[in-house]
Amino acid sequence: MKYCGHCKVYIREDHDRCVLCENILEEFDGKTEEVFPEVPPFYESRLGIKIMMFISIVALVVSFGFNMIFPSEINWPILFMFAVISIWIGLIIIIQKRYHIPKKIVWQVFIVSVLAVFWDYKIGWRGWSLDYIIPIASVSAMIIMYVTAKIMNLSVSDYVTYILLDGVFGIIPIVFIVLDLVKVIYPSIISIGFSIISLSAIFIFRGEEIKAEITKRMHI
Amino acid sequence: MKAKDKKQKVEWKKLDNASKIFPATSNNKDTKVYRLAAELYSDVDPESLQKALDLTLRSFPMYRFVLRRGFFWYYFESSDIYPKVELESTSPCSPIYIRGGKNLLFRIFYYKKRISLEAFHALSDGVGAIWFLETLIFHYMKIVHKEELGEEIPSFEYGASISQKMADSFWKNYTPKIQSAHLKKEENKSAYKIRGKKLDENRMRVIEGALSVEALLKLSREYGANITVFLTALLLYSIYLDMPKNKNKKPIVLSVPINLRSYFNSSTARNFFTTMNVGYDFQSSSHEFKDIVGLVSKKFKEELTEENIQLKLAKYMKLENNPVARIAPLTIKDIFMKIGNRFNDKKISSSISNIGKIKTAKEFEDYIKQFSVCISARAPKLTFCSYGDRLVLSFTSPFVETDIQREFFQFLSKKGIEIEITSNI
Ligand SMILES: [Zn+2]
Repeated sequence: MKYCGHCKVYIREDHDRCVLCENILEEFDGKTEEVFPEVPPFYESRLGIKIMMFISIVALVVSFGFNMIFPSEINWPILFMFAVISIWIGLIIIIQKRYHIPKKIVWQVFIVSVLAVFWDYKIGWRGWSLDYIIPIASVSAMIIMYVTAKIMNLSVSDYVTYILLDGVFGIIPIVFIVLDLVKVIYPSIISIGFSIISLSAIFIFRGEEIKAEITKRMHI
Repeated sequence: MKAKDKKQKVEWKKLDNASKIFPATSNNKDTKVYRLAAELYSDVDPESLQKALDLTLRSFPMYRFVLRRGFFWYYFESSDIYPKVELESTSPCSPIYIRGGKNLLFRIFYYKKRISLEAFHALSDGVGAIWFLETLIFHYMKIVHKEELGEEIPSFEYGASISQKMADSFWKNYTPKIQSAHLKKEENKSAYKIRGKKLDENRMRVIEGALSVEALLKLSREYGANITVFLTALLLYSIYLDMPKNKNKKPIVLSVPINLRSYFNSSTARNFFTTMNVGYDFQSSSHEFKDIVGLVSKKFKEELTEENIQLKLAKYMKLENNPVARIAPLTIKDIFMKIGNRFNDKKISSSISNIGKIKTAKEFEDYIKQFSVCISARAPKLTFCSYGDRLVLSFTSPFVETDIQREFFQFLSKKGIEIEITSNI
């Protein structure tokens, strides 16, 4: 231990100065201890994110600059920028919702769909976002959800809300067909059929659990 | 989706009355996390600690629950998460509950000679968590010192059944007869606010002072008080000494938690406490320390009557039974609880909390040096507990400054009490 002659207290750790009065400590018995670990600043663990942010900005600046010097017909730096933005949005969602994998999957479906429609519109509306991306995203999300639920041993309560949401989302292509917005209807039909079958399977086989989940979440 | 993958039924529980405020009001600045630590005489063996934790969890099923958001209220839900002991690597009382996160509400750290239990306050109060830590230490000692103890392995006194430990004691002990009209109107005066320069990354500064219970008791008696009253008065006095003299128009008010288990028949390991405010107005009252002790002592006697405690409990339950409040969606409740919490915070300057005496089997006393407790704080707070003759006073503070702590410990050392100081920064 060490000793502070000013405060008249013993200090267990090997400090130079008193934590109370900041005066220089005296040796007492030569034995000091380490009771608390030293915790490094959090900043270091964020370094990875900072480096990625820097690389994204450099890459965007270079691509725009390159395009100005050597113009091409396609505005590829814009496409590149969308790609970078999508990656960042995806990353932020993964980091924020790291605890809720099913929730994350549903969010990804939603974001992919919105980005696809936006991108499709930007590069002259060929309709591929409605034809393919939305139906495929919702069907694959449902498959991914079943698989992760199995692999990660998730309980029904963890994914039931999200599989219901995705099921409802997967039925939306009905609107596209009715309003004649799609040129290729097979993916939409598969998505609608798959969603209806999955939803009914959940209600028939897991109805009780859904009910239990609802009473739990809605208790007053 | 076959019947065979039907797992153990997921259990769920409502939050007890005192817990409800914590998920709504916890944030990175005030994590509502507290830490109980046991310091041994030898280095901790992580493998044995893990075994001891596994055994302990069997008697505390609540510790495997996670906190989730419903539409109207938060609720606990059983989980199959398997907690692992970790080498301590974070600042004391770092966040545990993260909104939307599905993690357990406690963690077990080891570092050199210390075993620490950190818990989110919604799970349990300090007294409840002590049972958990006592049980953990019991199993750990039995595993590590099996040979030395030989035949003398003590048996553990569990004290309560598992259902008693999981009980919501607020509901059980509430007498609806008491009319809210009897409730005293609490003073709405705002209290002196301790200010300081914040530590980086919302870290907490912990300063622990270990001293002899007997010496402190002797000193307290010289002022005609018990230890809690004496320390409460000393904390008021230390804050006063640090207070800028132009600010002393406002009273210094300390929040003091009351363990309701000593007033009602309850052995819950969850939350069962209420609080009282003890204030002192330095502008209109004497600045003599002995007068402060006298006034604090009087205030304790007035507040801690059976009748007053019943009233406090009734007041607590009033909100819970209010139909409008009940059907408000959780998001709205969260906002109101945050606002209410801010108003309450304005009325107090700091808090002092006595977790009490910690006991272990006599056979283990040679292996355990001390127990200590600290809690997340937005202003310097004092918490303490004792083990044998060693009492540990822990100040937790988000500030760089240590003036209040210095005044406090210097007062004691000048009265001839030997103090050993430990600090994390
Ligand atoms: Zn000093």
